[in-house]
Amino acid sequence: MLSAESTGNGTIVDDLFARFGAGLFVVQPTVDNTPTLWVAAGELLEVLSFLKPHYPMLYDLFGIDERQREHRSGLPAADFAVVYHLLSLKPVAEIRIKVSVIEPEGEVPTAIGIWPNANWYEREAWDMFGIRFSGHPNLRRILLPPTWEGHALRKEHPARATEMEPFSLSEERQEYEQEALRFRPEECGMETASADTEYMFLNLGPNHPSVHGVFRIALQLDGEVVVDAVPDIGYHHRGAEKMGERQTWHSYIPYTDRIDYLGGVMNNLAYLQAVETLAGIEVPPRAKVIRIMLAELFRISSHLVFYGTFAQDLGQMSPVFYMFADRERLFGIVEAITGARMHPAWFRIGGVWQDLPEGWDKMVREFIDFMPARLDDYDKMAMQNSILKQRCVGIGSYSAQEAIDWGITGPSLRATGVDFDLRRDRPYGGYDQFEFEVPTANNGDCYDRAVVRVEEIRQSLRIIRQCLDNMPEGLYKSEHKLTTPPPQEATLHDIETLIHHFLSVSWGPVMPAGEASSLIEATKGINSYHLVSDGGTTSYRTRIRTPSFPALQQIPLISRGLMIPDLIAILASIDFVMADVDR
Amino acid sequence: MSETTATIIFALVVLLGAVSAAAVLTWFERRLLGIWQDRYGPNRLGPLGIFQVLADMLKLLTKHDWVPPFSDRVVFVFAPTALVVAMMMGFAVVPFSETLYIIDIDIGLLFFLGMTSLAVYAVLLGGLASNNKYALLGGLRSAAQMVSYEVFMGLSLMGVVMLTGSFSLQAIVLAQVDGWYCFSQILGLYVFLIAGIAESHRLPFDLPEAEHELTAGFHTEYSGMKFAMFMLGEYLGLILISCMITTLFFGGWLGPDWLPGLFWFSLKTFFFICFFILLRAAIPRPRYDQLMSLGWKVLLPITLLNLVITGALALSLQGAS
Amino acid sequence: MTGSTTAELIPFIVYFGGVILLVLTMLGLSFVLGQRRTNKATNTPYESGVVAVGTSQIRLSVEFYLIAIIFVIFDLETVFIFAWAIAFFELGWQGYFAILVFIAMLGVALVYAWRCGTLEWGVKTRVGLEAKDN
Repeated sequence: MLSAESTGNGTIVDDLFARFGAGLFVVQPTVDNTPTLWVAAGELLEVLSFLKPHYPMLYDLFGIDERQREHRSGLPAADFAVVYHLLSLKPVAEIRIKVSVIEPEGEVPTAIGIWPNANWYEREAWDMFGIRFSGHPNLRRILLPPTWEGHALRKEHPARATEMEPFSLSEERQEYEQEALRFRPEECGMETASADTEYMFLNLGPNHPSVHGVFRIALQLDGEVVVDAVPDIGYHHRGAEKMGERQTWHSYIPYTDRIDYLGGVMNNLAYLQAVETLAGIEVPPRAKVIRIMLAELFRISSHLVFYGTFAQDLGQMSPVFYMFADRERLFGIVEAITGARMHPAWFRIGGVWQDLPEGWDKMVREFIDFMPARLDDYDKMAMQNSILKQRCVGIGSYSAQEAIDWGITGPSLRATGVDFDLRRDRPYGGYDQFEFEVPTANNGDCYDRAVVRVEEIRQSLRIIRQCLDNMPEGLYKSEHKLTTPPPQEATLHDIETLIHHFLSVSWGPVMPAGEASSLIEATKGINSYHLVSDGGTTSYRTRIRTPSFPALQQIPLISRGLMIPDLIAILASIDFVMADVDR
Repeated sequence: MSETTATIIFALVVLLGAVSAAAVLTWFERRLLGIWQDRYGPNRLGPLGIFQVLADMLKLLTKHDWVPPFSDRVVFVFAPTALVVAMMMGFAVVPFSETLYIIDIDIGLLFFLGMTSLAVYAVLLGGLASNNKYALLGGLRSAAQMVSYEVFMGLSLMGVVMLTGSFSLQAIVLAQVDGWYCFSQILGLYVFLIAGIAESHRLPFDLPEAEHELTAGFHTEYSGMKFAMFMLGEYLGLILISCMITTLFFGGWLGPDWLPGLFWFSLKTFFFICFFILLRAAIPRPRYDQLMSLGWKVLLPITLLNLVITGALALSLQGAS
Repeated sequence: MTGSTTAELIPFIVYFGGVILLVLTMLGLSFVLGQRRTNKATNTPYESGVVAVGTSQIRLSVEFYLIAIIFVIFDLETVFIFAWAIAFFELGWQGYFAILVFIAMLGVALVYAWRCGTLEWGVKTRVGLEAKDN
């Protein structure tokens, strides 16, 4: 189920060549050494089907506008590329399949038949690039409003407000936009009545207390029973991927903080690992441990918000207040170290911004000594509460197979019994130096998803204690020439290095051309940034793969047939952040 | 006649007292929850923030007095009014002390049950008249939930009636001189407590409202003073239920002689008000069908069992004495 | 204690009048003092901030009527228990056994309703996606 047999990275390409013939593929070298193969659209589905037993998860699917890319010698002609990023969990392995799309007739067959979660990803690629997927049942816009003109991630689409007409919203326009948002049951093939009842159609969200931001689910209800649910996203879309194409590699860091806005520097880490792979920077040990410590602090912070709102959405009023008080303590540490609280943007290309301040260890120690007792209290208060259990146990469950089919990662995957954690199974950024357990549960229901996250808080505390006890001495950022901003000693050495500093701060560092992504185990699942550098000061394409996106796509599967309060429990348990979904 | 005059004055005191108590309770609840939850609650206006009540009142008074054009206008306005009236009338039969009560009628207990039933209709009508989907769902929940708990609420009190032999609340208090009913009617108390929360539709049984599910449930379309009246009705209900628990199970105004009955009555009632508020802070909300199952499958059999046991024991003891 | 004369009713009537007056004052004051404002969306029903689909005036599934029906049955039957409770000691053991039979019948009715599944409102299970996509 996780992977048919252990086909290593080297051999799967050979297997493909043996099966389909080497002439069918164009191998693209990538900086991150992930096998990347171009195939023709005609053979795509066969190749994907062949790969599925080895790589059971469609980890990501996205488009790239290839038309203005300069460094693409040796690659097939393409106006656009569609990238299928596949993942095997055991052993951890990735592969990318790319398909070229030539305008205007170019089409790609839909992969929904192989992976159900291709649905939303293909809609996104259509929305952003206008790439058509033949056979897709519902190729509509997903992130941008239905009234949008053009495809936003195409290179010719304006990226800055100054390139467009000034924005204004007249009353007529507002009414037009509102009307465009009206839910039309018939478009989704829904009946308005059954033999003995009429169905009610209810918009749950975008403005609703339990959708954790702006998220809409259009419900078809029989009384309180959810007959069908249609999730609608895009209300929090800010064009983060487009912004990546005009911000320098360095100045994009603060934008990443705001993707999973509860994850803070965890986002920096996902982005910077990819940048550092492109640049070939090895981060010094002290910086690695500092990064891990901060990232784990933010994992705790994010899980505490989950825990509190989970209880709150089930009608338990108090835990969220206690947990936010704990989170305040934690933010106190983050603030002492980074100067900011929720969005520190503190990691830098090649390390972190500053060394740890004096007295940081005392603060961290106080916190990790204080937390376990609190967690025990919360266990009694919330997790062992019988009403809360009744609301969650057996509700909203999915199997391990379903989780993998739908691209679910992180705690929501581990709740189904899949023992998979990138930090342990393919350690990145220095995690191989740490001892911790990977909590799992068996039923994959709302309760188990909470149980796993609660246990992860304890494990994070354990990791932080190891950081505290074994913090290495040394540099807090690399001496590599692309480290931004460069170490000050290097800057003041001579005029050449000063100019270099000046350039990389004012124009931004220049990354060598290439493609790389780096998967990390973020707070809500696997997060990664696929970066394409065309040898400039900005990224040519920034693709942000977030764990929340596939989780929402799965909602109809697990909520149909249940009642509204169950749907609320499901929403509370999958721990999503709309900024993380819409980007 | 002077006695009647005194009672009239007392009636007016109850009238203003109940409304003021409910208003102050909005502040008190927030402060108490604040203490419980490591935070402050409203503490800006006046000593301990008590003038928050006035500020809220002024704000609500100056809000747009809006009646949705798509609603059933008459019923829409009538519903919160009926709730407040029903709850206020419930206080008419409460014996605050041996001498302080508005009226002591034979059927005091039935009158109380009748008034709480009216409150059910108020919530139901408010939900249905709004012509809003969230309100409709809230209205349906309230109909199912409150109507079911109606049954158990009445039945749970029959043990008390059996032992007293009267529906008069004053008689019930006096019958407890030798021992409060909270011991002999422990099962009745248990059911009445739960049914009381369900009837006053407060967390954890606030399913008709269920903020996290139905945004505001039956009062989604209510704003300004009509919203305030629903809130007032809820807090009056809370006080009334506390008064009734005190009266029916905890000896009402009975207490040591060195302080007046009114004091003991208030003290006990205050205790139960705090209990209900803290209950709200502590317990999650069950699902609608779980609440209904609890009612029909657990509470109803318990009430019936209570009647059977109470009857057998009381008759045996009477025969023995 | 028992039996209400007209004099005893007067405070009650005054109280009732007071309550009505209070409620009318509240409504009246807010009508007079309340601001008036009309925006484009003021007169539309709330549905999480988007335009509503369909109406709320719909035919509902049968389970809601079942609750209403069992409520009517049980509430009616409790009335008999009320009548017995008030005269409990006067009726003695004879009345007790009579009502015991009645309660037993009520219990049987409850068990019947339970077995029929009338009391199941929430044994809802996941349906899954079938062949349908959105």
